[in-house]
Amino acid sequence: MMTANTSGLDVSALTLRDALDLAVLIEEEARDRYLEFAEQMEMHRTPEAARFFRFMSENEEKHRVELAERREKHFGDAPVNVTRAMLFDVEAPEYDEARAFMTVREALESALRSEEKAASFFASALAGLRDPDVRGLFGELHAEEIEHQRLVRAQLAKAPAEPLVHPSEIADEPHAID
Amino acid sequence: MTTVALGPKDFKSELKPIWCPGCGDFGVLQALYRALSGIGRAPHEIAFVSGIGCSSRIPGYTTAYGFNTVHGRALPIAQGIKLARPELLVLVAGGDGDGFSIGGGHVAHAVRRNFDLTYLVMDNQIYGLTKGQLSPTSPHGLETATSPYGSLEDPVNPLAYVLSYGAGFVAQGTPADMPGLAKIVEEAIRYPGFAFVNIQSPCVTYGQEVQQMKVHKATMKTLASVGHDQTDRIAAMRLAQDYGKALYTGVFYRNPEPPPTFEALVRERQTAQGERPAREKILDRYLQRAT
Ligand SMILES: Cc1ncc(C[n+]2csc(CCOP(=O)(O)OP(=O)(O)O)c2C)c(N)n1
Ligand code: SF4
Repeated sequence: MMTANTSGLDVSALTLRDALDLAVLIEEEARDRYLEFAEQMEMHRTPEAARFFRFMSENEEKHRVELAERREKHFGDAPVNVTRAMLFDVEAPEYDEARAFMTVREALESALRSEEKAASFFASALAGLRDPDVRGLFGELHAEEIEHQRLVRAQLAKAPAEPLVHPSEIADEPHAID
Repeated sequence: MTTVALGPKDFKSELKPIWCPGCGDFGVLQALYRALSGIGRAPHEIAFVSGIGCSSRIPGYTTAYGFNTVHGRALPIAQGIKLARPELLVLVAGGDGDGFSIGGGHVAHAVRRNFDLTYLVMDNQIYGLTKGQLSPTSPHGLETATSPYGSLEDPVNPLAYVLSYGAGFVAQGTPADMPGLAKIVEEAIRYPGFAFVNIQSPCVTYGQEVQQMKVHKATMKTLASVGHDQTDRIAAMRLAQDYGKALYTGVFYRNPEPPPTFEALVRERQTAQGERPAREKILDRYLQRAT
């Protein structure tokens, strides 16, 4: 079984080792993308969204480390067969989610879409999985994504309402200088 | 030539991109890091030349030697570098404006000379840097700062353009499929001759709605999925006619028998003319006269 976010990888036939490696890389991809977003926001004077994206990146890194430790415990330094080239945009927000002058609410909404996307990746993978250990792992990861959605929704409920005039309407449009 | 095990991060420079958040060029940059790590040439053996435009800032974001030149003049300068230092890996990048309006005349000559260069055009169908004027690839009817009532011109077709001048490698990609784009760029770099990759890279600030990443994701189609034979130049030309209508990704054409490159032919002639290149003899004569 191939998914829209993976290539060259039969997700239904994953071994536990490959599944753990895939999970580590999914977190790594999300960590890197959120960091890129934070840097983009810092460059374009959007500090609140930058802080939030940095926080998300740190969280993804925490999950990555936890998963990497599990992998190490079970499989030591056995070779890694899964590469970053085999996955794309699984949990990472899509490139075009970032916008200059985005509000914290918009940043949270973008993170929510990513958590939903990741949950549906694990849900659809679960439907085809055969190995019980991999099913267990993906079931756990799916539940985590659902919990993350709950946390982001809770933050969204507390986030300030959107201003009457969006910041991008007031600021000069972003542009590169040469 | 040094072949080393380098990861994508080894090609990332300290300079932070100032592109608008969400710009397609960010994905192109990641694909390029990945392609370069696949190639494995050390950054100091890479010369990365660009023109002027948002997209032309890309060399600065890599650890390769970069030369952000003059608007539309990246190709002539890259050819000079390749001729003088054929052992370097020479990459060229720029926008559709840089490559097909002000620099349009140079493309045909770079193609027909067949230098071993990889030319990456980040085609967003608009002038991004100068804030949204018509570009040569803007579609007919597009309303922009310079065409308030809609453009009256038909766009240039970059794919058909380079194919018709005989480019040995012609491909198209989009950052909406970043891993796919990385593979295409790597293949282009490996091709021993002039290689062209048209990268549909959305401009989120001035680009059209139909040119955004989400539309790309929904509409892109690999050339492999339509059963295209990449050694068939005529079939490639036929598919290239859909530029602006369909978003094909992958290799349109790859010459199965790459001819010798221009720099190889020059070296051959220099060897045939004797041990010392004629240029040095002329210089010697001049210096003798001057002293
Ligand atoms: C000789 C010259 N003419 C005009 C300009 C102004 N100029 C700078 S970039 C540009 C076009 C940018 O469009 P494109 O090449 O498509 O790149 P993008 O910014 O969209 O990536 C123009 C007209 C210039 N810098 N130099
Ligand atoms: S103006 Fe367009 S092409 Fe330039 S950095 Fe912004 S989004 Fe990218």
